[in-house]
Amino acid sequence: MTVFHFFNCAILTFGPHAVYYSATPLSEYDTIGTSVKAAVVYLGTALVKLICLATFLKLPENDSFDPYQESLKALIGFIDVAGLYFALTQLTHRNISQNHKFQAVGLDEDECINVRSDLAFFSIGFFMGWAFADSVLHRLAPLWVGARGLEFTWEYILQGLEANANLVLNLSLAALGSLMWLRKNKPRTLVPLIYACAGILATMPSITSYLRHGLGWLLPKVIAFELFSSFVMAFISWQLFSACQRPSA
Amino acid sequence: MAGRRRGRGGGDVMESICSVLALVLILVACVELCGAATVVDVYRLIQYDLAGDPFGSRAAGLSHHAGAPPFAPGVDLSRTVAMIPVRELNLTFLQDYIASKNPLGGLLLLLPHKLGESRNEAGDGMLRSTLVDLERLLIHSNVPYPVYFAFEDEKIDTVLADVRRSDATGQPASATTGGYKMVVSSPEPKKIQSATITNIQGWLPGLKRDEDVNQLPTIAIVASYDTFGAAPALSVGSDSNGSGVVALLEVARLFSRLYSSPRTRGRYNLLFGLTSGGPYNYNGTLKWLRSFDQRLRESIDYAICLNSIGSWNDELWMHVSKPPENSYIKQVFESLSDVAVELGVKVGIKHKKINISNPRVAWEHEQFSRLRVTAVTLSELPQAPELLESTGGLYDTRNAVDETAIQKGVKLVAESLARHIYGRQGKNVQIFSDNSSLAVSPSYINAWVDLLSRTPRVAPFLSKTDPLVTALKKELSEHTVEVNLQHDVLDGMFTFYDSSKASLSIYQVASVAFDLLLLLAVGSYLILLFSFLVIATRGLDDLLNIFRRPPPRKMKTA
Repeated sequence: MTVFHFFNCAILTFGPHAVYYSATPLSEYDTIGTSVKAAVVYLGTALVKLICLATFLKLPENDSFDPYQESLKALIGFIDVAGLYFALTQLTHRNISQNHKFQAVGLDEDECINVRSDLAFFSIGFFMGWAFADSVLHRLAPLWVGARGLEFTWEYILQGLEANANLVLNLSLAALGSLMWLRKNKPRTLVPLIYACAGILATMPSITSYLRHGLGWLLPKVIAFELFSSFVMAFISWQLFSACQRPSA
Repeated sequence: MAGRRRGRGGGDVMESICSVLALVLILVACVELCGAATVVDVYRLIQYDLAGDPFGSRAAGLSHHAGAPPFAPGVDLSRTVAMIPVRELNLTFLQDYIASKNPLGGLLLLLPHKLGESRNEAGDGMLRSTLVDLERLLIHSNVPYPVYFAFEDEKIDTVLADVRRSDATGQPASATTGGYKMVVSSPEPKKIQSATITNIQGWLPGLKRDEDVNQLPTIAIVASYDTFGAAPALSVGSDSNGSGVVALLEVARLFSRLYSSPRTRGRYNLLFGLTSGGPYNYNGTLKWLRSFDQRLRESIDYAICLNSIGSWNDELWMHVSKPPENSYIKQVFESLSDVAVELGVKVGIKHKKINISNPRVAWEHEQFSRLRVTAVTLSELPQAPELLESTGGLYDTRNAVDETAIQKGVKLVAESLARHIYGRQGKNVQIFSDNSSLAVSPSYINAWVDLLSRTPRVAPFLSKTDPLVTALKKELSEHTVEVNLQHDVLDGMFTFYDSSKASLSIYQVASVAFDLLLLLAVGSYLILLFSFLVIATRGLDDLLNIFRRPPPRKMKTA
């Protein structure tokens, strides 16, 4: 019975990753390899992050929101972005260039776009791996430990929802990141918007942390906010992505 | 990660998998301990065999849903833990239930938070009689399911209120409707091999003058210190017989002061004995007396046994087994009643003949009398208790004891002893008068009553080196000399089982129906998400294609 509950929560937490992977054209580009690489990079980044957190942060004595500590935390959070940047520019390029070495000579306009969208999908596939590793690392162990217990709480269901929101946020960040770093000729008017959205997405963990500890919101409220904001951000980044994707741009 | 490592060598992989497994196992073990919403201490009903017949709660492990009375007649309770507050206990219901041998998942009896701290006297008396009846019922019946006692507190009250509410809506809790699940993970209770009893004795030797040819006579003061109750871990027996033990220690303290100076040392040896095995026909007393050699036994002038002297008002009973006309008995009784008159209390005498063929020994002095040693028991109980009764039950806690009663008892015993020792019978001299250096010390008595009221003392569960035994020995050696312990085996009529204390975890559980519903919701969410994504990124046709001909699509991707 409790294993049943664990199973439910696990589907809710990890199912969307599989759905995003198989439902979108990602599966057609065989991005599994990229995802695995992303997961490895994620592990490395997480390690660096942990070391930084352990070095610079005090153990919080109470559950209050300390702006200094939180900003430090947010700064350390940007290590994620650095890791992503490294991975996207190094790994993905190599990947692409290996796969498309023979095509790279004398591309016409159409193929160029193909390669570009390949690039985008690779980067998103990369982020799938990234988000999946994040989810597994952060949620699998608590889920395994907690949801199989006899005690019933809403916590793990809420956590599953939170994982969904996080996945959507991560994918949006991936899309924007690929726009920022991999696409050279994007419409000038959109550039500040892209950067602003990416900034919001990157500071999202700090915002939720502030809501929870600074304003004392309860978990269901915070998660509702996260879900809502993830929908909005996903919508915006989708629009930006498709605006940049247009061949005319 | 494991896949990447597999290249390096099988040994490494196995090793890492093993370590990960070990870690997971440790984590899982932790969960079982701390995952519950509420964990409360519970105390199991005693489980024992009396001459081979099983009595008490015969099981310890518990994992069932909680329910609360009133139960509809004919309802199957074999998978329900009945939570019953003792305040509202319907004893006849329980009696019938046990007598008709109906199955029950388990029984959790909730004792009031602080026993005896009731607002009104009447309620207190009711509770007391309920507890006594309940204890009598449970101790003497064979209950095939686990029975636990717990104290009412906020956590338990919340659970009980919730259980009552869900019961009231007509859905008794079970696996399909959710509710609370109570779990005690406890191994099968094991027999306690060779239950030991420990007697403690100490001497205050009298002053032997040169002209004395014979051995000095001895007066023994004896109290049994162990207890027996429905819940061994709650059986503190403040009155029966903590009060007797405290009085004995105080008498020892007072006489040690007198005996410390040669000028006031009496011409009697004083023997102090703290005996074990009291509830079991004073088995320890028997063993203790048998260990004496003949000369010592004959030198005992008389013995005073102290039993339950912590809650009397103005009348104490002296129980004897020789006829009251006997000169020795007469002398002891007179010296006691003289002092009693001065203290403004009454001492009555009760004669109960010993039936040698009956194995039941109701009073401690009967063990002395069987060996032809003059002995009396001082007790507030007017009648001899039945086997396993008045031995420190659930109600017998600190609140049931009145310290002033013990002080009076101490004074009575000490004063009459002193008059006998110093030959001052019939003279109105107060040796232990208040405000003198030999006054009875209320703080000493309070401290020891408090300590004993915190310490369950059921003999089979006390080890040879139990802190309490050590403490009693140390205290006695403060006042007396030649203190020694006598270890012996409790006679074979009783067999006890362990695990008297456990932790009860109360989990709030969801029903199967809820989990099914959740699965349905999550499944439909994923399907919707899938369809939405396929339509958004590839168009509706692709989605339809998936259902139409999946195999060719896979071929294409490959």
